Amino acid sequence: MRKRNLTAYGFLTPYLAIFAVFWFWPILYSFYLSFLSTRRLPWSWNPGMTWGRIYQDPAFFNALWNTLKILLIQVPVMIALATILAVLLNSRLLKARGLMRFAFFAPVVIGEAAYAAVFRLMFNAEFGIVNKTLGQMGIEGPNWFGHPDAAMAVIIIAVTWRWMGYNAIIILSGLQSIPEDVYEAAKLDNVSPRQQFLYITLPLLRPVILFCIVLSVIGSMQLFAEPFLITNQGGPGGATETLGLFLYRQGFLNLNFGYASAIAYTIAALAVAISALNLWVGRERE
Amino acid sequence: MHNRMITATAVLALTAGMAMAEKSEITVWGWGVAASSLMATVEGFNALNPDITVNVEQMGYSQVKSRVLAACAAGGTGLPDVFQFQNVEMELITAQFPDCAADLAELGFGDDDAAKFPEFKMTALDTGDKIHGMPWDTGPVMMFYRRDFYENAGVDAASIVTWDDFIEAGKKVQAANDGVVMTNDNLNGGAEWFRMIANEQGCGYFTLDGESISINQPGCVAALDVLKTVVDEGLLTAGDFGERLQNSAAGAVATQMNGAWFEGSLRTNVPEDHAGKWGMYLMPTVAEGGPRAANVGGSLLAISNTSDNKEAAYKYIDYTLGTNEGQITMLREYGLVPSLLSALDDPYVAEPRDFWGGQTVWLDVLATLDDIVPAVGTPFFGDADQVMQATQIAYINGEFSTAQEALDDAARQISFNTGLPIAE
Repeated sequence: MRKRNLTAYGFLTPYLAIFAVFWFWPILYSFYLSFLSTRRLPWSWNPGMTWGRIYQDPAFFNALWNTLKILLIQVPVMIALATILAVLLNSRLLKARGLMRFAFFAPVVIGEAAYAAVFRLMFNAEFGIVNKTLGQMGIEGPNWFGHPDAAMAVIIIAVTWRWMGYNAIIILSGLQSIPEDVYEAAKLDNVSPRQQFLYITLPLLRPVILFCIVLSVIGSMQLFAEPFLITNQGGPGGATETLGLFLYRQGFLNLNFGYASAIAYTIAALAVAISALNLWVGRERE
Repeated sequence: MHNRMITATAVLALTAGMAMAEKSEITVWGWGVAASSLMATVEGFNALNPDITVNVEQMGYSQVKSRVLAACAAGGTGLPDVFQFQNVEMELITAQFPDCAADLAELGFGDDDAAKFPEFKMTALDTGDKIHGMPWDTGPVMMFYRRDFYENAGVDAASIVTWDDFIEAGKKVQAANDGVVMTNDNLNGGAEWFRMIANEQGCGYFTLDGESISINQPGCVAALDVLKTVVDEGLLTAGDFGERLQNSAAGAVATQMNGAWFEGSLRTNVPEDHAGKWGMYLMPTVAEGGPRAANVGGSLLAISNTSDNKEAAYKYIDYTLGTNEGQITMLREYGLVPSLLSALDDPYVAEPRDFWGGQTVWLDVLATLDDIVPAVGTPFFGDADQVMQATQIAYINGEFSTAQEALDDAARQISFNTGLPIAE
């Protein structure tokens, strides 16, 4: 090895040493753990209790299905709303634009615990403002935290409320990078505003929207705080338990480290697969 | 060389230990009113041990639990000197991290000390080679009810003997009191109601030896049926611990079923004008003449093995949990029911309580102690409880045709998750 390279590696050593001890070693060790039965001491080699369990564990499939529900419903709805919001925020007709942009971005700044507590109060079945308002309109509101689908709806509403403005701001920056003259040319050709949106704005926004989708998908895969805090640790009866929460339960509440490691590897594999799919769908086509 | 180093370390440790004994500071983690009650004993403790400063850190229950487990998993790093844990969950620590808690036997807890507590409180703590903690309180289940709401409906609490009586009374109470629901349960985040009734009926998640699963046995089936009927009749709404207290304070609920330790939480969280309006009665039973006693909750204090002040920490828990003075202070201030047997004969427990309408509530509570059937935790309590929460919601939502079918399914799942067999 040339001397120059040696010096470079010398400077890298502190980082590499820390990476090896705190990242690389745990990754390898948890792979080894995923083959052990850790239910009682001493831990013993028993992949049947971990890998053998995961593909036939109804609780795992419940968590997987819940995560997919959020991915398939919440992400598209939020991105669509964020796009519409971005277009509205970009409108020349809008007064106090800076304030409006900040107002929609603000939810991200709020601490998770604080906003979770407010959502729990708002959706309280007996006293919450949501059911009281629905009651005024003659609609009987559901028992939000008691019914599996209603609880899932609360999670989706909460996450959408929190992250929609954030995505809208990213999309807004994309909108502002679209040159004005494209729209001027369209106007001269008598293209209606709706068509302008569909055939000019959306295609030119594609890379930005794809970026937002990838971010949101990763966020949804890791969703933890909302089901933990708002729906009482994934309640009712596991109806809002996500993969992240399931992993936490197995690892840190049941102390089943072997199984939790197997779940962690499965989640990582799923995240890689979904990201690859995203990139493949969104690749530049000639 | 090696030997000399060990000696040197030992000498260092000893001198450090002696220096500590002169003036030391200990930190204690606890949750809710349990932490408040620990703060209440500090004054009495400091009168005897003025050189030991006790810092009680009050947190939520799940916060203490997850922080203790994470710290134990990290070899004890970050643990306080003393921590609170639930009895039914302690076996999680003793099974997975046998070195996490200090051995109290080494600090002076002898057989005569063990004899001061009921046997069912010691079983989870004494693993034969080691004493992992000192018993704190027990949770005999009581019905906490609003006298005025029951009176409005012409319901006499003493006449409620069976769960059918409770349901009939509930309909009347709700009809006579606008905006009041009969009772609450943490239906969406726990299985306490099910566990309390099951325990009353002599059934638990596991058999007493902890080696097999008994969740699908008749007592548990009866408990799940009672729960569903109460929910179906519209007499029970869901709320976590904080929400149940809020509902009680708001006058929106007529009855709370809980361990007697709930006394302090309730009394200290409702407005002052509630004094005299509350009362207690025994849990209803399934069939007339059946058992009316159960236990839910109940904690212990453990000393962490990594503590530098084990001696001081032991002095504190021995005063707080091992003397009548400490235990009665906690009973008086926050309603924690002593598991220290001698404290049960203290004159205080026989006094009528004004808040409870002049009822001698502690005599009523303690009278149930002898009838409580022990329930074991095992290291798999969390696994079983999670399955039960899901099963309970599924059954209430009509996904199973009978409670037996629902619990057979739960038993299969718990068996699959833990590797334990289902009891015959």
